Amino acid sequence: MLGYALRRLAGAVPVLVAVSIFVFAFVRLLPGDPARLVAGPDATAQDVALVREEMGLDRPIWEQYLRYVGQTLQGDLGRSTKTKLPVAEEIGQRFMPTFWLTVVAMVWATAIGVLIGVISGVKRGKWQDRLGMVFAVSGISFPSFWMGLLLINVFSVRLGWLPTGGYTDWKSLILPSFTLGTTVAAILARFSRSAFVEVSQEDYVRTARMKGVPERRVVWHHTLRNALIPVITMTGLEFGSLLGGAIVIETVFAWPGLGRLLIDSVSYRDYPVIQALILLFALEFVIINIVVDQLYAVVNPEIRLR
Amino acid sequence: MTHSPSLPRRSLIAALGVTAALPWLGHVTPALAAANDLTVGVPDNLTGLDPADVNDTLSQSACRLIFQGLYGFDPDMKLVPVLAESYEADETAKVFTFKLRQGVTFHDGTPFNAEAVKVNFERVANPDNRLKRQSLLAMLDRVEVVDPQTARVHLKEPFGAFVNTIAHPAGMMLSPKAIAQFGKEINRNPVGTGPFTFVSWNADTLRTKKNEKYWRQGLPKVQSVTFRSVPENGARIAMLQAGEAQFIYPLPTEMAPVVQRSPNVEIVDKPSIIARYVSMNCMQKPFNDVRVRQALNHAVNKEAYAKIVYNGFAGPLDAPIPPKLGFYSKQDPYPYDVAKAKKLLAEAGYPNGFETEMWANNNTLSQRGMQFMQQQLAAVGVKVTVLPMESGVLNDRIWSVQKPEDAQLKMYYGGWSSSTGDADWGLRPLLWGQGFPPKLYNTAYYSNPEVDKALEAAIATADPAKREEFYKQAQALIWKDAPWIFLGVENVLSAQSKRLSGMYRIPDGGLLIEEAALS
Repeated sequence: MLGYALRRLAGAVPVLVAVSIFVFAFVRLLPGDPARLVAGPDATAQDVALVREEMGLDRPIWEQYLRYVGQTLQGDLGRSTKTKLPVAEEIGQRFMPTFWLTVVAMVWATAIGVLIGVISGVKRGKWQDRLGMVFAVSGISFPSFWMGLLLINVFSVRLGWLPTGGYTDWKSLILPSFTLGTTVAAILARFSRSAFVEVSQEDYVRTARMKGVPERRVVWHHTLRNALIPVITMTGLEFGSLLGGAIVIETVFAWPGLGRLLIDSVSYRDYPVIQALILLFALEFVIINIVVDQLYAVVNPEIRLR
Repeated sequence: MTHSPSLPRRSLIAALGVTAALPWLGHVTPALAAANDLTVGVPDNLTGLDPADVNDTLSQSACRLIFQGLYGFDPDMKLVPVLAESYEADETAKVFTFKLRQGVTFHDGTPFNAEAVKVNFERVANPDNRLKRQSLLAMLDRVEVVDPQTARVHLKEPFGAFVNTIAHPAGMMLSPKAIAQFGKEINRNPVGTGPFTFVSWNADTLRTKKNEKYWRQGLPKVQSVTFRSVPENGARIAMLQAGEAQFIYPLPTEMAPVVQRSPNVEIVDKPSIIARYVSMNCMQKPFNDVRVRQALNHAVNKEAYAKIVYNGFAGPLDAPIPPKLGFYSKQDPYPYDVAKAKKLLAEAGYPNGFETEMWANNNTLSQRGMQFMQQQLAAVGVKVTVLPMESGVLNDRIWSVQKPEDAQLKMYYGGWSSSTGDADWGLRPLLWGQGFPPKLYNTAYYSNPEVDKALEAAIATADPAKREEFYKQAQALIWKDAPWIFLGVENVLSAQSKRLSGMYRIPDGGLLIEEAALS
């Protein structure tokens, strides 16, 4: 399995190279002169020219690309044009907040979401199913900025139990991860319910029941195991997209994550930071895909990885 | 399929990606602040801490905690001496001699003296250092150290607004030792003479603590100042209500009622120096006719503008510069008069109005402002297409124009804040005949030789009486020519805890925190 993972990782190198070229070209296609934005709203033409030279943007584009590739290969991601801090540091400061927010939100959301989905699937049409789907539909429909502000108002302003935002101690993680996880839990509940229902209509489930396998075993083994495959795929995708930052949650809870960094960098045309972030997100997805494939094999040993 | 009974649970856990134990969160700092620590909720992250290399008001406010200049501003944006005691200017406005305050040291123990002034001013002025605010001191020739307490500044050309210019944050004094030691990294290792010393700055939080050896007796009164970036308006208000912050800005005008209803917090509402206007391209039809420009000034109800766009938190713009700027000279307003506007348009040959377009940034306030203008101008037959644009796109369209004849710009909904507090930077970048984009910001493509002459003469002298006379002339001429629709001056709104006193937001939106006290 390890050999498989390594082969997959090696296979991802061309993907990353392609992403790097694409992003490099893409950020330069964005309208707007980064030098003008860096120099600020009341800079003179002279200031702007100075900044352009400082950023190396006065050089031909092929030279800029070669320089970028050379530096990236040496592990140098350059400096942010906005703060002039090293890009690795800018991203480093925000990676862990995003990582913890994602992990905590995903853990509870997956547990609760899949549980609700399975219960709804087993008790299809009964009150448990309806209750579960009411939760799921509400979770998907409530705008998260609204829910976040509501939670802040209740738990921080009125009750004073939890901080309004910021990345400080474990308490500061509760409201944002709850808000973030609600949508994910709702999506997974609906998704796992339909996967469960679909699988429970398969022949082998009926056969198992007919053979007299106890109902509990039919549910947990024959059905859930197979229903989990698409759920794992979905969870992986959600995990990957959350690792790219959750802009709304980060904004409402003043959470110093990667989503806000990306948005800020795009509006500031901070080329080095945009390039490094997109590359990081691509890498995260590659790794998550490999892990997801491994999980298929854990859940269903009939799937073998070569 | 045969499985051991424990497998489903195991695979479920594996599928969830649950690790056995969650390690603790990184660098933890206590959320609870002691009673004498001031936290300020701000909208954005800082861009740096080198005052000559930042151009956003927030970073400049942060720099004001740590650094000071020879001159600075009081809460009303009047010029006050800080590290200088006095100055003298010669008749040509080319030589300025500063008497410096004695016994001031930088946070690292380096004495503040004329040598430090020389190092700092020459650092900013030197284009090789590539600092964003280099142009502010571009006219500097050299600094002469007369004696440790006297610095004489020689300019290449006369510049009457020089003392105001160095009161801008870019003119603040950094420790010469730290400049030598940190080089470009001074951006994150700020060492000044100010009331607070630097502790740390990461992603969204700046921490500073009291400078125990501060030269002003009895100050500062708080133990520490922390800036926390909270981008969401509602969350920032919640932070104030929950007591996590004692001061927040900005406060959107539509949220003022929320704060008014809260018992322990209050609104701070002050006029700003931010002028709101619509510039009209004076080189192109139909705006090349002064009657059209005057007509549009009559066509807009400025009181309604303040009420609708700013919920009443705005005043009139009754001169080309706001009242809080130096050398402001009040003019007779263009009264709201639709009949007169129509008459003027008819005289100019547009009895049925015309079609045009208006550009602006795509932020909420600009969009609201443009929609208001669209509705007002429709009443006199002028059909406006509004084009809100993302700032990069907008900048490209305005500043990529090399020849003024090629400009696509017709009307531009804009705002301007003169960060030096002086009429020069409030008028010259915007209305000087030599300042068409991309050189400066004359988006009206307005050129009146008499105005140009007055603006140039006003910086060729340092005599306030003479400068006043020139700016009076210039403002009267501009007002009559109406290159802009003069809209209003917005207020700066903030909210603070009732425990807090002595903290001010000056009219350019910056913060003065030196005298802040918590009860």
